[in-house]
Amino acid sequence: MELIGLVNYALFMGIFIGIYALLALGLNVQWGFAGLFNAGIAGFFAVGAYTSAILTSAHADGRIGGFDMPFFVGWLAAMVAAAAIAWPIGKICLRFRSDYLAIATIGIAEIIRLVIKSEEALTNSARGITGLPRPGGDLPYVESQAAYLAIVIGVLAVTYLLVERQFNSPWGRMMRAIRDNELAARAMGKDIEYRRLEAFIFGAAIMGLAGAMFAHFNRSITPEAIDPMVATFLVWIMLILGGSGNNRGAILGAAVVWIIWSVSEIATDQLPHEYAVKAKYIRLFLIGLLLQLVLRFRSEGLLPEPLRGDQSKTGSGQ
Amino acid sequence: MTPLLSMENLTGGYGDADILQSVSLTVQEKEIVVIVGPNGAGKSTAMKAVFGLLNIRGGRTVFDGDDITGWSPNRIVQRGICYVPQVDNIFREMSIQENLEMGAFLKKGDLSAAYDRVYELFPDLKERRKTLAGSLSGGQRQMVAMGRALMLDPKLLLLDEPTAGLSPKYMEQIFQISRDVRDTGVAILLVEQHAKQALAFADRGYVLAAGQNRHEGTGADLLADREIAEMFLGG
Amino acid sequence: MGILELLNFYVIPGIVLGSIYALGAVGITLVFAILRYAHLAHGDLATLGAFIAFAVVTAIGVSPLVALPVAVVATAFIAVGIDKVFYEHLRDRPKIITVIASLGIALMVRAVVQVIWGVDSESYVRGISRPDVYFGLRIRDREIYTVLAMILLVGGLYVFLKQSKWGKAMRAMSDNPNLALLSGIDNRVVVMLTWIIAGGLCAASGVFLGINTELKSMMGWHMLLPMFAAAILGGVGRVEGAVLGGLIVGIAEELSVLVLPSEYKAAMAFVILLIMLLVRPTGLLRGKVL
Repeated sequence: MELIGLVNYALFMGIFIGIYALLALGLNVQWGFAGLFNAGIAGFFAVGAYTSAILTSAHADGRIGGFDMPFFVGWLAAMVAAAAIAWPIGKICLRFRSDYLAIATIGIAEIIRLVIKSEEALTNSARGITGLPRPGGDLPYVESQAAYLAIVIGVLAVTYLLVERQFNSPWGRMMRAIRDNELAARAMGKDIEYRRLEAFIFGAAIMGLAGAMFAHFNRSITPEAIDPMVATFLVWIMLILGGSGNNRGAILGAAVVWIIWSVSEIATDQLPHEYAVKAKYIRLFLIGLLLQLVLRFRSEGLLPEPLRGDQSKTGSGQ
Repeated sequence: MTPLLSMENLTGGYGDADILQSVSLTVQEKEIVVIVGPNGAGKSTAMKAVFGLLNIRGGRTVFDGDDITGWSPNRIVQRGICYVPQVDNIFREMSIQENLEMGAFLKKGDLSAAYDRVYELFPDLKERRKTLAGSLSGGQRQMVAMGRALMLDPKLLLLDEPTAGLSPKYMEQIFQISRDVRDTGVAILLVEQHAKQALAFADRGYVLAAGQNRHEGTGADLLADREIAEMFLGG
Repeated sequence: MGILELLNFYVIPGIVLGSIYALGAVGITLVFAILRYAHLAHGDLATLGAFIAFAVVTAIGVSPLVALPVAVVATAFIAVGIDKVFYEHLRDRPKIITVIASLGIALMVRAVVQVIWGVDSESYVRGISRPDVYFGLRIRDREIYTVLAMILLVGGLYVFLKQSKWGKAMRAMSDNPNLALLSGIDNRVVVMLTWIIAGGLCAASGVFLGINTELKSMMGWHMLLPMFAAAILGGVGRVEGAVLGGLIVGIAEELSVLVLPSEYKAAMAFVILLIMLLVRPTGLLRGKVL
């Protein structure tokens, strides 16, 4: 029994790490490679989760949606929806310094939260949407968890390869040139805003996909399923700690931070209730402090951005 | 006579690259000295070197008996050198008077004597002292910039291309005012693109090319030198 | 709907809310213009200020207006401390790094509030306050205090920036930082003054939000967007613009209820922000665009 419990816990944790790693990869496209500050990660995540939920859930009275579509249609639609939200925001804000984008993404995440809470006809408000199909969900519990983990790993691997390929392509070279020396890139006649918009939308689509995978794993999505500020911040610390600009770093950061986060939760849950509640906030404080320490003492993260051919005079990159 | 400023074999640049290679120059008291040379010769860099805005890797700068190499700009200002950058040399959203006040930020006590002195040199500014500096014309902005730098009674004024982008009329006016400033006892070191006109008005000149000294002499001698005329002055 | 009804139910509450936003927006605009980054912990600093006043109110039983100066001074100190410990060493790095750090500080400050005071709603004074009627206008005392305090505090700041030597130095640093340094203005003093002012005003905004509504650990975070919208609407770096922006955002939020479900009140700030960035990023009073 003990062993099964442990295996179950490991599977569960692996799935969460995979989903957060996807978010960190999405943020890496935006921040690590294009220098774009997205402070509304949870918003894009939620849009993805709800889009897929609306399309794939069974029909229910009094609610738009419930189209009973297969899960992969939902996942694709989740990416499209998150990208569609990112487009106007990016269009308006990317002409300015990234501070403006940070503020606007906080705003869009807030609006998405309001829509989810209040539009009963779309999101079923506080009760959320339940009964989502889960690939491999008919298997016995442990096998089902393992199957889902395999799917998460598969999606993560494909995303990683795609993103890595993008970074090493001429597109990636251009993004780095823009990020590292905007003036020079502008002087060379690069369409900086358009490139940034591409990166912002690409990253948002990955975040939307992560949201959909989260919803289908739980077979449901409710407004309380994630704390927007905590989720957004966890992804940031994952990327910064792991190493912004490094895709492997993003995945490593997701693993390290999620393990610290969930193991410390288990530890503090053993405390009497009164202290356990406080402990949650102390953990938040410490994770904020961790960010300050990383920024100060190891701003390149655990795995620094690799020097690619175009960045290093002697580099042996592509 | 000991020069007021003497830059001795100065080598340095921004970051790791050396833009200046063993540049030497002197400025005597109450003298107007101009640095001319082709684009990229290191003229403005030489001026910034005096002001400590550069990584210096060799040589030294002596001002009025003190070795000021490596001093902070703040300390150099207090010691008596004021610097007028080529661009962004005024506070646009502040009035003319406030610009002057900021120039005298380090000065304790009453500023009225300093205002009087600057307004005497730039009577146009006095009338408009409540006007926002950003709303002035290019020539008037240059006057505000010079006035700001003169508020601390410097012994040496550094002007980086003060006539860039100005009409010939304003250029003449800036040169005339520079003479007036010199006559109040302030030495001036300036960098100029308009080499001919500048050499004609300066006491002495240095020709810099590729970060090195090429020629020096009185303005008139340099103007008369055919080689210099062909190389730098466009015939 | 009569004009009195419009004023009583929408405009007056809007002016009060707008004054609260204005107090925060002034600090945001100063930090944005002088230190050159968007400070995302501003709202949570306001929460902290509000709860410091709450601690004073509950400890010695004074009115929140008496506790206000204590909260203002304490929060100003805390803001300076946060800058010294967390932001100062990032000064030579790209400014956006400090924006990230400030998001972390927002979380940390909120966590401190949540640990000390919990997550339940609190209020300074129990009971319902009834409005007085002036010529048909229904106004509560606390609403008058709020608007008056905003006018006094921002007016005082305005005079300081226009008249005093260090106030002018702050404007100079916002206007042209390189030239300010060349003029011998000590950047460290300017930064410290900026944080004292921003932190103090932030606390005032939190306390007045607490006086007019209630105290919650998320109260400040929810003000962040309106405060930024106000600062950008007025023009970054413009103190009078931040006040104007704050009032417009506050009134717009209250009026939005006439056409939108009340749940979307908070969306007004976002809409105003996007419209300004789209049509006039310098703001109404020609501020900076970073």
